[in-house]
Amino acid sequence: MMTTDRELMHRVARGDEPAFTELSNRYSARLLTMAWRLLGNRADAEDAVQRALLRLYTSAKSYRSEWAVSTWLYRITTNVCVDEMRRRRSRSVLQRAAQEDADGQGLLFPWGGGHGGGPAQNLDVQRALDRVPLEARILLALRYVDGLSYRELARVRGITVNTVKSQLARGKSILRTVLQEGGHRQRTAGALTRGAER
Amino acid sequence: MMTRAFPSGDQLENLLVVHFRPVAAGGDLARRVLDRLRDDWDPERFAARIQVEASERGIRTVRPGGRVLPPVSRAAKRMAERARAELHDYLGGRRAFFSVPIDFAGTRPFQRKVLELTHRIPFGETRTYSWIARRIGHPLAVRAVGTALGRNPVPILVPCHRVLRTDGGLGGYAFGLDLKTRLLGLERATPVLEGCATTGIVCRVGCPDAMRMRDDSRVVFASVEDARTVGYRPCRTCRPGAAAGA
Repeated sequence: MMTTDRELMHRVARGDEPAFTELSNRYSARLLTMAWRLLGNRADAEDAVQRALLRLYTSAKSYRSEWAVSTWLYRITTNVCVDEMRRRRSRSVLQRAAQEDADGQGLLFPWGGGHGGGPAQNLDVQRALDRVPLEARILLALRYVDGLSYRELARVRGITVNTVKSQLARGKSILRTVLQEGGHRQRTAGALTRGAER
Repeated sequence: MMTRAFPSGDQLENLLVVHFRPVAAGGDLARRVLDRLRDDWDPERFAARIQVEASERGIRTVRPGGRVLPPVSRAAKRMAERARAELHDYLGGRRAFFSVPIDFAGTRPFQRKVLELTHRIPFGETRTYSWIARRIGHPLAVRAVGTALGRNPVPILVPCHRVLRTDGGLGGYAFGLDLKTRLLGLERATPVLEGCATTGIVCRVGCPDAMRMRDDSRVVFASVEDARTVGYRPCRTCRPGAAAGA
């Protein structure tokens, strides 16, 4: 019989490294995908997941078994990703200031911009998601990477179930609008190209 | 002609399911995390060695060990104790700002300008020596800026470790580049804004009110605005919305 997540977690709290490896392997693909879709590239996503797992290991003693291990892991990982998003925003404020600065020297931008693709990535969907406010985008990622319930989503982000529902609805409505606009532009561009061929 | 709206509910569901389909992670993820753990640097032990000198007006020196003069008054003693406590929390990853004042009285005007500007570089961010030189109105004095920071009497509290070279190099650090790297890494791993899921209040990490928060109540936010959108309100003690940097 497969060892449960909770049993593994209790073993991790006693410093059991194989249990930690087993638990990491169970969740790594889902955590990586969530971080990748939020942060836009694999390198930053891997770093975020590593930092989250490090935190899981070092704080395993404070894990309380009323939490599902998956919910606990998603809480820790989203916390790391969200702080990374905050850092990027303040960098982009700096970047704008540097552009306005006459010589533009003296600032560092060592981060990678843009989206690093990845298998099966739909760029239209990614661009549309970029337009969704961060809190709603996080909920969408958690909902679709692992099918978390409204209650689990509420627990991960420390919000009410009603807020989860309204944020998800708002996020999807924005997605639909942006994808519709994109689809409309594509159809128009297609018609123009066909017109020019004649 | 009427066309059906794209995407329909089902189409959107499908697009999202495909977009978020898990991708395989490298099999050695756990091993790499365990490797990171083998680091034997103990920030708490380092914090315990730090020596602080203060006047009634603020902190005058911070040293990574050695002896310091005894405090000149009770107020100065309280000031030094407060700085030690804040440094201890900071090095333990529980604080993203310092509130203890600095007494710049012993520094010359040029160095003082450099230190005061450096003091305002926000937690977790970096600037360059030439950025500082330009901002204080001496664009050619990049080397002098480096010297002024190299003699920073209050390292960590005045975060000269957040100043790097324009080419991305670390530059120098009076207490060794190893510590500079560690401090930058520490700031990367410490969040800045944390909400309490029980009270619905968002604080700066290190706020005395947030210290009492249970670990499983901590939810990180990217901005006070984001926190508001999901029903949190900013703390009245640490006023996270009002915090601004250089």
